[in-house]
Amino acid sequence: MKLTRRAFIQASFATGGLLVVGTPLAQPVTNAMALRKAKPAGPAKGEWVSTACQGCTQWCAIQIFVQNGRAVRVRGNPLSKTNHGYVCPRGHLIPQQTYDPDRIKVPMKRTNPQKGRGIDPKFVPISWDEALDTIADRMMELRKNNETHRLVYLRGRYSPTSTELLYGTLPKIFGSPNYFSHSAICAEAEKMGPGFTQGYFGYRDYDLANTNCLVAWGTDPLASNRIVPNTIRRFGEILARGTVIAVDPRMSNAAAKAHEWLPVKPGTDGALAGAIAHVLLTEALWNREFVGDFKEGKNLFVAGQMIDEAAFAEKETHGLAKWWNVELKDRTPAWAENETLIPAGQIVRVARAMGKAAPKVAVWMGPGVAMTPRGTYAAMAVHALNGLLGSIDVEGGTLQSSGVPLGKFPSADAYVDDVAKAASKLKKLDGRGAKDMPAMMNARPGSGVVTNNVANGMLKDPGAVKVLLASWNNFSFSTTDPSRWDRALAKVPLFVHMVTNASEMTQFADVVLPATFNSSEGYSIVTNMGNTYGYATIQQPVGKRLWDVKQEETEVVWLLAEKLKAKGFPNLFDYYSKEFKDPEIGKTPANEKEFTEIAARISSAPMWMPKEPLKGDKIEGWADFRKKGIYNSAKYSYKKGWGGKFNTATKKFEFYSETAKKGLAEHAKKYETTIDDILAVSGYVARGELAFVPHYEPPKRHGSPQEYPFTFIDYKSRLNREGRSQNLPWYQEFKKVDPGDVSWNDVLKINPADGAKLGLKTGDTVRVTSVAGSIVTRLKLWEGVRPGTAAKCYGQGHWAYGRVAARDYAKAAPRGGNNNEILVDDYDRLSGSTARNGGFVGVKVAKA
Amino acid sequence: MARLGMVIDLQRCVSCGACALACKAENNTRNRAEGQSFNWADFLMKTGGTFPDAVHVVMPVLCNHCTDAPCVAVCPVSPKAIFKTPDGITMYDNERCIGCRLCQRACPYSNFELGETSLDGEAYSVLSFNPWQGDTQPQWTDKSEMIPGGTSSGAETAKMTAAAIPALNQYAEGEVKAIRKAGVIEKCTLCYHRVSNGLQPACVEVCPAKARIFGDQDDPNSEIAKILKAEKSFRLQEEKGTKPNVHYIHKYSARA
Repeated sequence: MKLTRRAFIQASFATGGLLVVGTPLAQPVTNAMALRKAKPAGPAKGEWVSTACQGCTQWCAIQIFVQNGRAVRVRGNPLSKTNHGYVCPRGHLIPQQTYDPDRIKVPMKRTNPQKGRGIDPKFVPISWDEALDTIADRMMELRKNNETHRLVYLRGRYSPTSTELLYGTLPKIFGSPNYFSHSAICAEAEKMGPGFTQGYFGYRDYDLANTNCLVAWGTDPLASNRIVPNTIRRFGEILARGTVIAVDPRMSNAAAKAHEWLPVKPGTDGALAGAIAHVLLTEALWNREFVGDFKEGKNLFVAGQMIDEAAFAEKETHGLAKWWNVELKDRTPAWAENETLIPAGQIVRVARAMGKAAPKVAVWMGPGVAMTPRGTYAAMAVHALNGLLGSIDVEGGTLQSSGVPLGKFPSADAYVDDVAKAASKLKKLDGRGAKDMPAMMNARPGSGVVTNNVANGMLKDPGAVKVLLASWNNFSFSTTDPSRWDRALAKVPLFVHMVTNASEMTQFADVVLPATFNSSEGYSIVTNMGNTYGYATIQQPVGKRLWDVKQEETEVVWLLAEKLKAKGFPNLFDYYSKEFKDPEIGKTPANEKEFTEIAARISSAPMWMPKEPLKGDKIEGWADFRKKGIYNSAKYSYKKGWGGKFNTATKKFEFYSETAKKGLAEHAKKYETTIDDILAVSGYVARGELAFVPHYEPPKRHGSPQEYPFTFIDYKSRLNREGRSQNLPWYQEFKKVDPGDVSWNDVLKINPADGAKLGLKTGDTVRVTSVAGSIVTRLKLWEGVRPGTAAKCYGQGHWAYGRVAARDYAKAAPRGGNNNEILVDDYDRLSGSTARNGGFVGVKVAKA
Repeated sequence: MARLGMVIDLQRCVSCGACALACKAENNTRNRAEGQSFNWADFLMKTGGTFPDAVHVVMPVLCNHCTDAPCVAVCPVSPKAIFKTPDGITMYDNERCIGCRLCQRACPYSNFELGETSLDGEAYSVLSFNPWQGDTQPQWTDKSEMIPGGTSSGAETAKMTAAAIPALNQYAEGEVKAIRKAGVIEKCTLCYHRVSNGLQPACVEVCPAKARIFGDQDDPNSEIAKILKAEKSFRLQEEKGTKPNVHYIHKYSARA
């Protein structure tokens, strides 16, 4: 008898079980039937459409495979010289995010006036017309009462070009100084390292194709911190030909694969960097071409001994002798072992490997170093190693950014009336530039945003904000001590959230405007750089838009401006509708769709209709640009800053930062005090000359070691699409690709030795408590963390957002715990950045 | 006839997950349920040693398309529902499969039911079984809405895209359907619908590390044959004698 599916099903149900039939039929049948041709089959038919990812800040040029109007699969744009046609795992999550069943599909309004965590807003659907009327009416009241500054805009994810239409224009024309970017909760402090040394306050590029020694320091570049696809591509090659060194207190992906893992005691990166610098100098391993040499040729760097500044002749640098005398001469590996818990022998070994590979070394410094309460100096200390190794702006080294030619939007000046002009001069809510908040981005005191301090400003002055517009942010989840935001948001009379999902922050909204999911539905021009090329990529809708959603920076601002005009304030609409002209045909936009397209065409026109031939890609017009999706610049030209062209006070690479000194002096002068006083009130320990050189500041810690014995380590998931992917089943299913993590779960990891001491085991539910708050989550004993430290990935712990992200959305019950709830609201005050790394918070762990 | 196979370079692999995610997208595999992962591409992970000398290693895993495949040997259906193609793919027929799951028991790389350890990367299964009862894509037939009238539902999203699942990759089907029905096993086909048309398997095509090399091991000019000749390689559970056609070279951690 031949066994068929039908016969088997009938027999199985007849015998009442499926498994019992196994034995008699299990005799191997090895006959010709085991080998046969398969029926013909073929790949899916469809079209690859070019767009931009925006799942992290790399903003990769990608393509999405579209079949019958559906977004199906994702790849890097094959023409990209940055990602080589590949995406990291984040990109593959785009279709799931596009088709998230919990997406908001229509505008909504709140019907429950009570606001708080766990209180149902009782949202009901409304029309766009009603939603925009509500917002415009309240905005008109502000104009009428001459309090336009009480309009606040909070920016989350944005397009680098279209942001000018909302962030750049709306507050300016309407009249408010209060518009804030999310950036200072992300990684801004990192920029202070290259900023105060080489005058470059930006994210670096790394020439990984040519480097022989990669030092991943306080970052896991296989998972985050930009250029992930290129790093993934190059990492194995560098492992094969050179040395990979990972400095991270927990075993990251890079640490797992590296030749050397230095699990530094959290917050002591500055000490480790100082000791490596000490070895590079005492063992004469510095790069002569960049740094110079002793006039007499003999190496006078001897531990503990000052040198005569005049004895050393520098080339591209400034202040090496001062740095040695003030900081480095005593930073021996033995001293550093005590501070960092990294064996002196390993420090020497690593320093020699770096010195041997110089200048083809990339010291890739990340937020783990910098996003700490005293992070500016640690960032300087780590980045300065690139200076000693001569890897600044050279082949195989650490590079500045590459750009592309972009079209500028027309000036809005004629539409800024006196009310708006006066309001723009008012003090901002984030407290930047206060005596204890220098926020010296670009070395200009008071120039950096202090995102997380906005909540404190709102709490201090509850009437300060009357209309709050926010897009794509989730500060009730993504900031440290987010309960401050909950309290502040609950007091806002009209909070409008433009967002794809009902996030934690949305729970406090009065009006919810459903946003396009821009990776697959947005329309804009997105720029970035990586792998020695700058690029601009189009972002365009790749399939059918399913819901009644609108793009916040283009469609929504147009429609809102139209409403404001109808109610008596025409300036914004007139600016958009009269000044924006198509770069080819000069046509002005008639509606929000045309406005969106014209804005994208203006931004990108210099690349597809250049006045002079460009050095990068040749693009044959707009249609070609949309199809190709990308313009790549010419390759980075090395040694940009060499020859006295660094953007510092001395035009040199500053080991002694005259740039920092100038900025600090300006800030001190404003408050008629000394630099030492500014440093003291801002929480730094340096005084005198130490303030101007890269140096070690001991880690700040909230919570005594007695009461809170574990030092907490926060890190990022390689699947985090900026905290927005936790509602996707594939995120949960593959959470295990973060080393030590568990799928469909959120585990706190401590060393098994600590577990034994506390009588805790893997799988236990534990309460993790700091001075800021507590969370309940699962425990995992893991050898990838040092005894005395506790590590947990950021991302889980949503109590809203969706029914996968939250354990129970209706009950506001989280899946796991949000790290931010146990992190203290503190800052690296020289940059204004939020502290989240460097072990600045102690926790205790107990069975829940 | 070709002898198709794959080499995975563990030094290049960074366990990012792109292969496994692209596989899910290409083959429309459903979400985990009832001890079945439906991950045709997955990972084995292990942290060993003691801090600070701890080592974490990862191996991407998939069907080994064994030359002497136990799953084929035990398949009781005649002609067999799970069979070898002349090119060496271990293929199966959704129509012929009777759901007896003998293949899942016989395969040394499969688990009849996955427990918690699969969430840690300590266990996986090449073969997954679609339970007899119910829907094989329940996420997309669910009609419930998180915020009534304000958010969508799985069913509504699918309906709006006019497909059984919104991101459906509708390939031209042979024996293996784009969406499998209840009561059948499923596993990696080496992307038969792609490779039989000159394309690479999805997991190979998307690997940002270029860690996967696919091709004909019998063609001396193929990259895979050259690598297998030049490099020391190993296969999973060689002692079982199944002659897997997925090979591994180099080591994941420089410190292992």
